Amino acid sequence: MIRTNSTQTVRFGHTELPPEQQEALRKARKYEWITIAFLAASTALVYAVLGNSQAMKAAWVEDLLSFLPPLSFLLAARVIRKRPSEDHPYGYHRAVGIAHVVAAVALTVMGAYLIVDSAIGLLSAEHPTIGGFNFFGQTIWLGWLMITAMVLTAGPPIWLGRVKMKLAEKLHDKVLYADADMNKADWMTAAAAAVGVAGIGLGWWWADYAAAILISGSILHDGIRNTRGAVSALMDKRAMTYDDDAPHPLARRLDAYLRGLPWTREARSRIRDEGHVFHVESFVVPAAGSMPSLEQLEQAREACIAMDWKVQDMVIVPVAELPSEFLPGPTTGGER
Amino acid sequence: MRRCKVLFLLLAALLALAGCGTSYPADPEGTLDRVRGGTLRVGASPNRDWVRLPSGSGGAARVEGKEAELVQQFAERLGADIEWVTGTEQVLADELKHGGLDLVIGGLDDKTPWSTHAGLTRPYTESRDSRGSLHRHVMLVPLGENAFLLELDRFLLESGQA
Repeated sequence: MIRTNSTQTVRFGHTELPPEQQEALRKARKYEWITIAFLAASTALVYAVLGNSQAMKAAWVEDLLSFLPPLSFLLAARVIRKRPSEDHPYGYHRAVGIAHVVAAVALTVMGAYLIVDSAIGLLSAEHPTIGGFNFFGQTIWLGWLMITAMVLTAGPPIWLGRVKMKLAEKLHDKVLYADADMNKADWMTAAAAAVGVAGIGLGWWWADYAAAILISGSILHDGIRNTRGAVSALMDKRAMTYDDDAPHPLARRLDAYLRGLPWTREARSRIRDEGHVFHVESFVVPAAGSMPSLEQLEQAREACIAMDWKVQDMVIVPVAELPSEFLPGPTTGGER
Repeated sequence: MRRCKVLFLLLAALLALAGCGTSYPADPEGTLDRVRGGTLRVGASPNRDWVRLPSGSGGAARVEGKEAELVQQFAERLGADIEWVTGTEQVLADELKHGGLDLVIGGLDDKTPWSTHAGLTRPYTESRDSRGSLHRHVMLVPLGENAFLLELDRFLLESGQA
């Protein structure tokens, strides 16, 4: 393991992070705080001009919900530093997964609620009323202020989302990924709300509800997608890349390494993603039926752990035959 | 990114439309256009100094009070005649909701429970009751008639400054 001579070593459980990941974690925390500061300003601004627009209300609720992923990331980043203890031998990494589920369920519930609320408004044909406000002695239509607020709050999240997306990849952090993904799509909410309000101005009262339904649909979509990802991660789905796009390539590398050792004939692993780090169980069939020495086993284990910082817990089990009941499917790497 | 372009084009188009349009915001039901040079149908619910119905005036021909005077000035500005309807807040709010009235007055404040039935103007003046609590006074307009509402808001702000 690489030791840095910085003042304090950053850990995920008992894993010391390599300098690149330490730096990414530091940056991620910084940008999550920036996100929270931005959200505080934007929710206050949008609340001030909320008026009677359903689309603005939906956009505001989405802003409020956007607090959850950064908060859960920052909280989880604290909890997972704890080393494994007697009571928690696997460490505290699942804190990330739990934070993810909580945030995802909140999104789903609010999205569904807003869709119903907006649909009721649309069906009962309740015309949204937006009057004037006093702007230095002039009475100006409040809708202009709403559109301005939406245009102002549309830009920053795109930039924040891009920055955080890169960090999420380095840290293998799915909460950060989900957060970045939502930020990147956030401008659509703002644009939809602005279009809805502009529609009200043209006398198209329904434009507001249409925009609101679009926005709440996107909240619901985010919620369902995140809930699905978070729940299956907690159910020990096999380790995937940070964006859940493909099985994590590390699995293949581990198996290839173990299979390549002179004393093994066959090797396969199952890997669960604990949040940032992986717990690996590798089954190896020794060559010619002879048991490997303790030294060989220990060397192999340490080589695997050194391969990637994400390999935290590693167990090598010598077996006479690969246990197919533990290793369904043709290969660990999930090659298709 | 496709959706990005479509939405922004839509927004730009809407704003362009707004720029050329004679009236922005517009009324979905065209209240302001109908009232201008026509008839302003006002519901008045008696309330202390704000709206008074002189006794013996016989029916709803005459309404007095601070708010009644304001409404009269507003109607003059629009070149409209006033058709007064008197009744309880409940009856008037219900009538407003179903398009039977253009405006309801009655010394209402911004805490009025009728905000589900009607749009509220900006609070145009404040008063204190005998218990010392503050009331920010509003009038009721039909839901979503934003051009009419904005016209009334402008008038109330100007008359408040005068």
